[in-house]
Amino acid sequence: MSDELRVNTDMNVNRISDEIWEIPMSEKSGMLVPARIYATRNILQSINSGVFDQVTNVACLPGIRRYALCMPDGHWGYGFPIGGVAAFDAQEGIISPGGVGYDINCGMRLIRTDLTLADVQPHLERLMTELFRKVPAGVGASGFVRLSREEFGRVMTHGAKWCVERGYGWHRDLIRMEEGGCIEGVDASVVTDHAIQRGINQLGTLGSGNHYLEVQVVSNDRIFDLATAAALGITGHEQIVVMVHCGSRGFGHQVASDYLKVFEKSMRRYGITVKDQQLACAPFRSPEGQEYFSAMNCAANTAFANRQVITHQIREVFATVFGQSAEALGMELVYDVAHNIAKVERYPEGELVVHRKGATRAFGPGSPELPEVFRQTGQPVICGGSMETGSYLLVGTDHAVRDTFGSTMHGAGRTMSRAQAKRMVRGGELQEQMQQRGILVKAVSMSGLAEEAGFAYKDISEVVESVDRAGITKKVAELRPIGNIKG
Amino acid sequence: MAWTIRWLEHIAMADAAFEVDASSAEEVVRGATQALIESLANPVTVSGGWERSIERTDGDISALLFDWLSEIVYWKDAAGVVFREAPLTLAQAGDLWLLRARLIGAPVDYQTQELHADVKGVTKHLYHVSQDAGQWKALVVLDV
Repeated sequence: MSDELRVNTDMNVNRISDEIWEIPMSEKSGMLVPARIYATRNILQSINSGVFDQVTNVACLPGIRRYALCMPDGHWGYGFPIGGVAAFDAQEGIISPGGVGYDINCGMRLIRTDLTLADVQPHLERLMTELFRKVPAGVGASGFVRLSREEFGRVMTHGAKWCVERGYGWHRDLIRMEEGGCIEGVDASVVTDHAIQRGINQLGTLGSGNHYLEVQVVSNDRIFDLATAAALGITGHEQIVVMVHCGSRGFGHQVASDYLKVFEKSMRRYGITVKDQQLACAPFRSPEGQEYFSAMNCAANTAFANRQVITHQIREVFATVFGQSAEALGMELVYDVAHNIAKVERYPEGELVVHRKGATRAFGPGSPELPEVFRQTGQPVICGGSMETGSYLLVGTDHAVRDTFGSTMHGAGRTMSRAQAKRMVRGGELQEQMQQRGILVKAVSMSGLAEEAGFAYKDISEVVESVDRAGITKKVAELRPIGNIKG
Repeated sequence: MAWTIRWLEHIAMADAAFEVDASSAEEVVRGATQALIESLANPVTVSGGWERSIERTDGDISALLFDWLSEIVYWKDAAGVVFREAPLTLAQAGDLWLLRARLIGAPVDYQTQELHADVKGVTKHLYHVSQDAGQWKALVVLDV
């Protein structure tokens, strides 16, 4: 077997370690820092050419510090690659909607239960049917929560706290969410009417694409760190857990679109040029930069609220199907974490605006930013695989804080286009195949289902191994799907 | 019809991209509109009943098409509808392009409509509208 590195770029890619690869500043005019990709050799060789181009474009943005990073689940995005992490000086640097993504605070949520596979299997069909009915998904779906504009304003400013105050959840849920489910101090007046109109009816909906609600099983032999798993409520013994992947829906997308337009105009005034119009940005301290930051945080709060309302619905369905209250079923939140967001964080370089786009914050044990409940374990990291394989629960490490601005991967990452996946399998056929393998799927769109086939994604186990071996996250448990709802 | 749509697979792997070739600016807008409508749902399965008249002007055809497609995505969420058709005209008056369209569709109905992707945004990724020797081209990447 040849040792020659075969990557999809003409740029020089240097090996730093078995899981870290660097593109030096000499490879593109304008790079202010090197670019680094976290991946095994095998994954690196499968990464598409657009990622190399995009991560080096990010390295050219004003005020960037240390490295432009890409995680092993990286793939071609808009402006920034998906899986991209970049930190900019809070005084001299920029903020860019392209570094956050359109689906602001797209994120993952994991709910534990005391139920086992033996408890759930006989009721799986009814459980999934009820979940499909109660958690709207797909094109144009609207939720059951009807809001006035004034009340939607409170969702924007209070996030998941608003939900808990309205009875959609428990107070103790909030401690198990990044930022406590509410980013404080936002100014909702910077959000456009268009964004509000798109989002006002969507609270409690999944959306489509790669968003899903999944019922999963945790087996003893797939727990890698028993003590940490136990501390997070994961006990194994074929334990049932529920995972949710979704974000701020149309609202967040409109916020991103609105401010990309604003930044395209203001960049000229600030003398900023970018290598891709999707990298449109503004100085973080400029009025435009601060307005986007506030609007983005409104969308982030709305996403926390969205996942909280969905959690409420999930608890209601489980309580109905199993004839016990959600409390009695042990349906506690394990964690809720964003993977499309920009945050101001402190590092040795000073205050930085850390952009994570398809990347998860992964602070290590003892981090003062973490609530007491996670000080021993480190920040939980929830990584969704394809609906056919598995997902992972991990925790952050001190290495991540040192090496990657406290960041890690977020999912498997696509390797195949949606059209190609649809050519390879029909939705109905895939649904049947999965059912034979013990995974019950309910989907609004059969073509959408085919697009999300497992073979269209990287092997999540290898992606997870990359970050585990690189030391930026530690594996806790693998979660195997038995039921999936897709838009 | 004087336009063709080509779906592009190898750009924006996680999303949907298309290129429209047309004989006029008006036809390129029609083609791009049709591609977006079809991305959301099979228009044949969508009845009427919901309708909006929309007018847009811009000196830049590229900006006009971008705003128009974004408007379709907006109404999908704001009104909870998918679309059957969007008859439109595009005229040039001096330096300005004027788009007049009727967006026709129906509320989302999982039972009767063949729904496709929930397009969340029109992106500027590789986006362009161009004209060469009388042929018009538009490349659009949709975020799904």
